[in-house]
Parts: sequence; C-alpha cells; structure tokens
Amino acid sequence: MNPFFAVVGLMLLTSALLLLPLVPALAELHNKSDALPLNVIQQHAGEIRFFADGFRSYMKGLQPALQECVSSGAHATGTMPDGSEYVVLGRGEDALFLPFREQNEVHPVIIASGTDLLLPSGTIFSKDIYSAASVIGGTKNRYRAILAEKDIRLGRESSVMRWVHAVGEFSADPACRLYGRVSSETGIRLSSECSFLRLNAPYIAIGPEADPEQNPSQAPVIATTQPRLFHDGDFEIQAGAVFQDNLVVRGRLRIGAGARVCGSVKSEKGLVLEPGVSIEGSLISASIMQIGHDCRIRGPVIAERTMLIQAGTRCGTPHNPTTVSAPNIQVEQDVVVFGTLWAREEGQAVEGS
Amino acid sequence: MIYVLYVIVSVICIYTARHYWFTLNRLFGFQRHPYIDIDTADWPPVTVLVAAHNEEKVVANILSALMTVKYPEDKMLVIPVNDRSTDRTREIIDEFVERFPTRIRAFHRKEGKGGKAAALKDAMELVETEVILIFDADYIPGAGLVRQLTAPFFDPEVGGVMGRVVPMNCGTNLLTRLLDLERSGGYQVDQQARMNLRLVPQHGGTVAGVRLSALREIGGWNDTSLTEDTDLTYRLLLHGWKTVYQNRSECYEEVPETWPVRIKQIKRWAKGHNQAMVTYGLHLLLGRHRASLRERIDGTLLLGVYIMAPFTLVGWALALGVFYQGVAPLHGIIAILSVTAYAAIGNLAAFFEIAAAVRLDGSRKRVCLVPFLILGFAVSIFAVSWAAVSQVKDALTGAEFHWDKTERFRKAAS
Repeated sequence: MNPFFAVVGLMLLTSALLLLPLVPALAELHNKSDALPLNVIQQHAGEIRFFADGFRSYMKGLQPALQECVSSGAHATGTMPDGSEYVVLGRGEDALFLPFREQNEVHPVIIASGTDLLLPSGTIFSKDIYSAASVIGGTKNRYRAILAEKDIRLGRESSVMRWVHAVGEFSADPACRLYGRVSSETGIRLSSECSFLRLNAPYIAIGPEADPEQNPSQAPVIATTQPRLFHDGDFEIQAGAVFQDNLVVRGRLRIGAGARVCGSVKSEKGLVLEPGVSIEGSLISASIMQIGHDCRIRGPVIAERTMLIQAGTRCGTPHNPTTVSAPNIQVEQDVVVFGTLWAREEGQAVEGS
Repeated sequence: MIYVLYVIVSVICIYTARHYWFTLNRLFGFQRHPYIDIDTADWPPVTVLVAAHNEEKVVANILSALMTVKYPEDKMLVIPVNDRSTDRTREIIDEFVERFPTRIRAFHRKEGKGGKAAALKDAMELVETEVILIFDADYIPGAGLVRQLTAPFFDPEVGGVMGRVVPMNCGTNLLTRLLDLERSGGYQVDQQARMNLRLVPQHGGTVAGVRLSALREIGGWNDTSLTEDTDLTYRLLLHGWKTVYQNRSECYEEVPETWPVRIKQIKRWAKGHNQAMVTYGLHLLLGRHRASLRERIDGTLLLGVYIMAPFTLVGWALALGVFYQGVAPLHGIIAILSVTAYAAIGNLAAFFEIAAAVRLDGSRKRVCLVPFLILGFAVSIFAVSWAAVSQVKDALTGAEFHWDKTERFRKAAS
C-alpha cells in the first residue's frame, strides 16, 4: 500500500473513532430533544390537598347529575370526558345494594354520592370516591382515593393507596393502612395498629381517648434573644430544671422528667425526653428520638432516623400548629399532634407501653 | 521534578476518589432531607434581600414571584437592594413599593464600595428578623421556596441554608447546555452528597438563607471578600454553625450565554475561592474550632477546588518534561497498568458524577452532551489558572480587584 494513503487512512480512521462519541452529542445539540429547563415545582408547593383540590375541580362536571339524583333519589351511570366510568348515587346507602358485594371484587368506577355514602366491606375501590356528605366504609376495603365534604370513617383493616381528604373529621378504625396523604379541615383520629405516612389536620389524635386540648404558650418558636449553648459530647438537663437557652449537643442528650426548655434543642445523636418535659421551641435529633409520656413540645419535632412518642404527649398547639417528622415514627395512644405528622417510610399507631 | 509530579498525581487521585465517593453516595447511600417535611409551623418573620445592580431586565420578575409565594404576608418583608444602578432598576423597584407598600421596602444605595457583600452589609441596617433569605435578581422563586428555605432555621445548629439552582435558559446554545450539566453535577450530586455525609455544603449566596445572630457572631458580611458566599460558609463553619443544603428547594436562574461572560464569572469565583483558601485553609485544617475531622478534610478539599486547575496544568507540563527527559515515573508493567487504570477510571470521575446527576434528575437525552464537557473543562482550566496567576500578580503589585457584574440575557419584563 502507498505509505501516504496508509497514513491518511490511519488519520481518518483515528479521527472517526475520536468523533464517534460526539455523534449522539451533535445529534442532541442539533435536535434539542431534551433542552427544556428541569421541571421545578413552581405552584402547588407540595400542598397536601393538591390532589383533593384537583379531584374536586374534576367532579364539578358531575354536580348537575348529582343534584338531579339527590332530588329524585335515583342513581345514574355514565362516562367522564376522559373516558372514566362513573356512578352517581342520589342516596348514599344505595351503594350497599349496588352489585359489588362479593369479597375482593374490583370496582373501576368513580363513585359520587349526594348524601352519606355507606360502602360495603371487603371491596376494592380502584377509582376515586366523592361524597357531598360523609363516607362510612366497611371493613377490609381498599381505596384509591376519597374526598368527602363531611366526615370519613374507614372500617377496620381498610387501606388507602393514594390520598384522602375530609372537610369534616377523618377517622380510621384499628389496623388501617394509610399509604398516601390524609388530610382534614377538622381533625384526624387514628385507632391502634393503624399505619400512616403523611397526615395533616388542625389536630391529629391517636386513640379514642386523645383529647385535643388548648395550650396557652405564645412564645415565638425561633427566639431572637436566646443565646445558644454548645456542648461537645453527651449532655443531660436535670429533672425539673428550667433551661433558658437554645441548646446544641454534639453527643447524646437526655432531658430529665419535668424539665422545661425555653429555647430550641438539637442533638447530633440520640435524644431522650423523660416524662413531663416541656419544650418551647423546636426539638431536632440527627439520629433517634424518644419522647416520654405527657411531654409538651411547641415547635417542629424532627428526627433523622426513628421517633417514638409516648402516651399523653402534645406537639404544637391549636393556635400554633407544627410538624412532626421522621423516616419511622411510632406513636402511642392518647397523643395529639396539631398540624402535620409525616413519616417518610412508615408511621405506626401503637398501644402504649 | 519527578517528586513534584508524584505529589500532583496523588492530589488529583484524592479528588478523583472524592468524585466517586460523592456519586456513589448519591446513587446508593442514605439521603438526608431532614427539614423538607416541615410544612406546618409557626413561621418566623423573614427578610428577603434581593441583590440588584443594573437589573432592569430581571428585577420585576423576582419581585412579582416573591409577592405570590406561600408565606404569611405579615411575616415576610422583601428588601430589594439596589446597588448604585444606573439603569431603570430604581424606577421598577419603586413601582413595586408603591403597589406593595407594606411588603416591600426599597434600599437604594447610591455610593460606597462595589460588590454584593458591601451592598448587603449596608442593607443590614433595615433587617430586624432572625431569618434572612438572599436572592440575586435573576432568580425566580417558586411558591413554596421561602418556607422551604426558612424551615431549617428551626434547628438551632443551622446558621446558613442553600437551595438548588436550576438554569432556565439551558436550551439557548452549547454553553448554556454545558452549564446546565455542570449545575446538575454540582448540586444534585456534589452538594447533596456533602449534606448526606455531614461534610461542608457550600453557601451559594443566592437561593440561600442566613441566621442574623450567626451573621452577627461571625462579624457580618465581609466586603473584602470576592465571593461572600464561600467566605460565609467557612466563617460559619469555624464558629460551629452548620450550613445545610436543600436539594428540593429549587429555583430558576439565568446562566451566561456567551463565553466571555462565562469566563469572567468563573475567574471571579476562582479568585474568591482562592482568597478564602488563603484566609481560612490552614486554620480550618489545623486550628482549634468546632468543625469535625471530616468537615476539616472536606472543607480543605473544597477550598482547593479552583487551585487544582493550575496544579493540573503544572502536572501536565511536568509529565511532558519527565517524558522528554527519559525518566520513567514508575517501572515497567506497573507504570502501564497505573496509567491505563487512571485513564479508564480517573479521567471519567467528573463525567461520571455529572452523568449520574443527570440521571437522578430524570433527564434522558441531555446526557448525550457529556462528551462536550471536555470543551467546557478546557476553557475553565485555562481561565481559572489565569485567574490564579493574575491574583498572585495583583497581590504582588497591590492592585485592587475590579467587580464584574454578570451580564443578563433575558428580555426586560414589560
């Protein structure tokens, strides 16, 4: 072979190999098939009621049919503009007599009711449910989503896959599984053995005896005047002591029974509150947290690993709702959280120790 | 010469390992977002400072966006910091003050030292709240952003908060697309990995917050710093305050659309970073303060990021010199294996990080552009090296730094 052509050929081949990885790049640069900015959530801001609000708007199209059925006491069926089938019930109790009473039967139909909706047991509702009044569910049901303009009560061992919103009170009988968002304009009450992820309401009461009470404290949660006490290693606040400052502990922290902290508290490791402790600010642990009986915490309560809240504790107040959050949360009976209770991985209502 | 080369190669290998550590942490490690779930609280009063120097093209956008955020109106005060603008910035701000007199209070700065830190320092006379949020004027905050950036301040250990920056003009040209990839790598992987690993997330000075008491404790804004954000990060760290990164607190920004603007920007960042390295590096690594061992090591490596550019160039030169001197850096098969291993793994570290970031962002096709990043890196390595050289020259001659504002490309809001 002519050496000149061999050299040129080698150079061309090398250039081609060098350019090969750039072919998809050049194609993308030219076609701009993925050139839009990343989708940054600008509007709904993670609102817990986002899906419920959307479904309420969606249901506006069924309002005329719903009013007509309420007046006549009849029910109607049809198809929504997006192709979803629906059934509209003038009387909610008619749901008990619709042909879906067999165990584990799946109902891929949107249900809308003008009066209190009574749902049979052992049924899978794979489409959203709307009630202009209350919803009373049977036992061992599985729901996709529920919106009620009044109360919602789920029967024992029921589960919700996506979301629930009640304008009135939401309550779940024992052993319900709430996988998505649960919100209420009035309050949420969970029985023992219920599991949850994200709850939001003016009050969230665990157990039938939990009483949402008034807490008179009005101090601002982020206080500007309180200095910060910094402690390397483990630290303990003695029982009954009053601690005025914000506190940051790089080790474990134990707050003795009946102690009162006027500022906020942070612990890099485990944090234990003995019974009757009062925290005016926030309570943060970069590890695990155990909150004893009858504690009062006014600000946000955050643990990066696990959290146990024992009976009688109150987080937030009716006038100053707050957030309680951890990947795993166990809440005993007679605990009330005012605001948000959010378990990223699993929350569990458990019997008291 | 060979021993200097060994040192340089060793340092480069440390940064390579760091890239992999961060990327693997993001892909497989425990992800920390401790404050993002705080959606209900007794929200504290906040002041939002909007730094604006000749921002007539963009300032109306951010003020409009801030007026629609979900935060109690009576607890949020917006202060546009008009820093000696000579365009219509003042007029636009005053129009907004007229429309929202209880929610926006203008701070018009007519004279004084140049630079954002100096402007913010002067504006502090209007700030009374414990929580201060800072935005540059070209940013567009979403509805939940103010709450998200405020939430970490419920933690009494937190002195600073940083959100994520997302380019909104990424599709304009090759440069903006490359910067989009770089931002992805920098925030989605680098910053979040530092947050996960309890290292040193960096305060970016915009889409960010700072606690007033922490700021006072560390001596306020440092108007001698070329990058007030890096300076703030290290002063907070040395005083025992944490800076936290919130990857899900995203905000649109505008990235440079021309190479000269980009080069100016990165040169300023490099000089500021190097300045912080000289000021805090030794004290951070060896001094008596509250930073943990891992924070000391990571903080020092972070300070050295920009000086690695001239360091690498010197390494290349030494490698060539060694080659032409006929010195074998290692022996036989070990040398070949080492070079091959580094070429296969080491050179890919930064690209791997960015590709992983793009994947985590859920993007698909833009990852194809990763090979073009060589172009961006080539420009950066020379620009940053030149910045380091000129910084040394300035230090020797006593020349003062001239503040270059990053040019905006958006069309002015009507």
